[in-house]
Amino acid sequence: MSEEEIVRAKSPIPFSAGFRWSVGEVMEHFIKSLGERKILGGKCPRCGYTYVPPRNRCGKCYSEIKPENLTELSGKGVLVGYTIAHVELDGVGNIKDLEEPLVIGAVKLDGADSTIFVPIGEVKPEEVKSGMRVEVAWREETEGEIGDIKYFKPAG
Amino acid sequence: MGVRRVAIVGYAQTKHQWDMPKTREDMVFEVAKGAAEMAGVTREEIDTVINASSDYLDGRTISELFLTMPSGAYLKDYTKTEMDGAFAALYGVMKILAGTHDVALIVANTQGSTFNPHQVSYHMLDPTFDRQLKVLNDMAIAAIQARMYMDKYGVAEEEVAMVSVKNLWCAAKNPNAHRKMPGVTVEDVLGSKMLYEPIRELMMSPVSDGACAVVLASEEKARKLTDNPVWIEGVGSSQDFYVRDRNLQRLEALEKAARRAYRMAGIKDPFAEIDVAEVTERYAHEELMIYEALGFCEEGKARRLVDNYVTWLGGQMPVNPSGGALGADPITATGLIRIVEAAKQIRGEAGAYQVPEVRRALAHGQAGICAQSNIVFILGGEE
Repeated sequence: MSEEEIVRAKSPIPFSAGFRWSVGEVMEHFIKSLGERKILGGKCPRCGYTYVPPRNRCGKCYSEIKPENLTELSGKGVLVGYTIAHVELDGVGNIKDLEEPLVIGAVKLDGADSTIFVPIGEVKPEEVKSGMRVEVAWREETEGEIGDIKYFKPAG
Repeated sequence: MGVRRVAIVGYAQTKHQWDMPKTREDMVFEVAKGAAEMAGVTREEIDTVINASSDYLDGRTISELFLTMPSGAYLKDYTKTEMDGAFAALYGVMKILAGTHDVALIVANTQGSTFNPHQVSYHMLDPTFDRQLKVLNDMAIAAIQARMYMDKYGVAEEEVAMVSVKNLWCAAKNPNAHRKMPGVTVEDVLGSKMLYEPIRELMMSPVSDGACAVVLASEEKARKLTDNPVWIEGVGSSQDFYVRDRNLQRLEALEKAARRAYRMAGIKDPFAEIDVAEVTERYAHEELMIYEALGFCEEGKARRLVDNYVTWLGGQMPVNPSGGALGADPITATGLIRIVEAAKQIRGEAGAYQVPEVRRALAHGQAGICAQSNIVFILGGEE
C-alpha cells in the first residue's frame, strides 16, 4: 500500500493532563528553600550518603531520611560531565534543531553524593570542560519552586 | 525430584522496520503463531502467556488491549510486564521451574512509529525535579554518559563510531534488521547528524516497529517437541538506582546481572566459555561499557576489543552479529530478539551472520534510562 492509501487513527495522546504528585516531606522543604536561595541535601543518618534533591529514604542502606537530616549546601560544585545539545524535543514528539547550542551539565555539588543534571549558562560551548567549578544562578525573583534554579554557571 | 530445566523450543520475529504497514495485533499474531508452529504446539498446549509492551510507547492505557486474541491468551494464565520481553522470558522460566506450567509463550511488541520514544523517555524522569527543569531526555543523559566514559578511558569518537560500523554491516546481513547500511564507514558515522555531543544519529538505535515471540518448555516437554532444544543455563537480573545516584561510567547493574547468570550456568571465565553475545546497545558507546560489565575485558579496555576486531563477526568473541539494537530497536521486543538471535546461533540458523561452532551464547536485555535495569541469559545447545 502506498502512503496515501494507509488509513490511520490519530488521537492527541499524550494529552495535556495536569498531573499532580505529592513530593514528600523532605522534598517540600527543598522546594520551599529554593525561594530563600538555599539548596538542601538529605544526608542519610546511617551511611552519610547525601541526596540532592533529598529523598525520604536511602536506597543504599535502606533507612529513613527525615527533615532533621536536611543539610544546606553551598550551591557550588564540579561539572563532572556535559553534553552540548544541538536539538531538542518539542514536547509533542518532534526533534527540532536548536538555533543556539545548549550546554547540559552533570553537576556534583560540594557536600553531595548525587549528580544533578542542569542547564549550564554564561559560558561558550567550546569553553566547557569537565572538572570546571560551577555555581547555581538564581532567577531574579525566587518563589520556592524548581524553576528558581535558572541554570548553573562557571563559579566566580 | 531433580532440578527442572527450561528450553527454548520455538521463536519468531517480524521484519523490523519504520512504520510497518501492519497493526500491532497483526504483528503479534504473526510472531505468536509463528513461534507456536515452530515449536509444534497448539494454542491448547500453551499453559501461560506473558506479554511485554509499554502503555506509554503504545499510547494507550493497558497496552495489551486487543493483544490477548492475537497472542492466543484469552482465558489462559496470563500476565504482562511493562519492561523488555527478556524480563517476560524470565517470568516464563520461573513458572516452568516452579513446576506449575510446562509451556510458556512470551510475546513482546512495540511500534516506535506510534509516538517518538525519545519524547516518552522524558516521562520516565523524576517528575518532581528533572521534568521541571525540562532539559533532559534519554539522548541527553546518554550523551553525558558517553562523554564521561570516553574522557575517563581516553576513548576516541572514531572508536565509538566503529561499534556502529560493526553492527550496521552485520545488520545488512540480517533479513529481519531495520537499519541496513552495508559498507558504512567511520567517516559516514562521524558525518551523520549531531544530536547531543558526542552522540550522532548513527550512534543511536533507530526507532523501529517490531515484535518477537518465544516458546519455552520444560525439559520433559521439550524432549518430545524437538531434537534441537536450546537450554537456558543461566539467568540473572539487576536494577540500578535512579540516574542521579549512579556511577554513570560503568554499568553496575549489568555487572551484577551477569555475575548471577554466570554463577547459575557455572561460568568462571566468560570470555573463554561464551562463543557469541547478543546485547542491547541503544547507543554505540553503551556496547563498549557492556563488554566491561560482562567481564569480557578489564574496566576501560573495551575499545581495544573493537579496535582489534575481537568483537566483530569473525573475531574471537563476536558481539551482535545480528546487528544488535543499532540495527533494529522495537523497544520492548529488543531484548527478546537478542535471546532469539542467540538461540539461532546455537542452532546454526543465522545464515550470513552465523558464527562457527557456537555451543554457548549470551543474550542481554535492558530497560530504562542509561540501561538502569538489566537481564542476562546464558543459552546452551545439547551437550
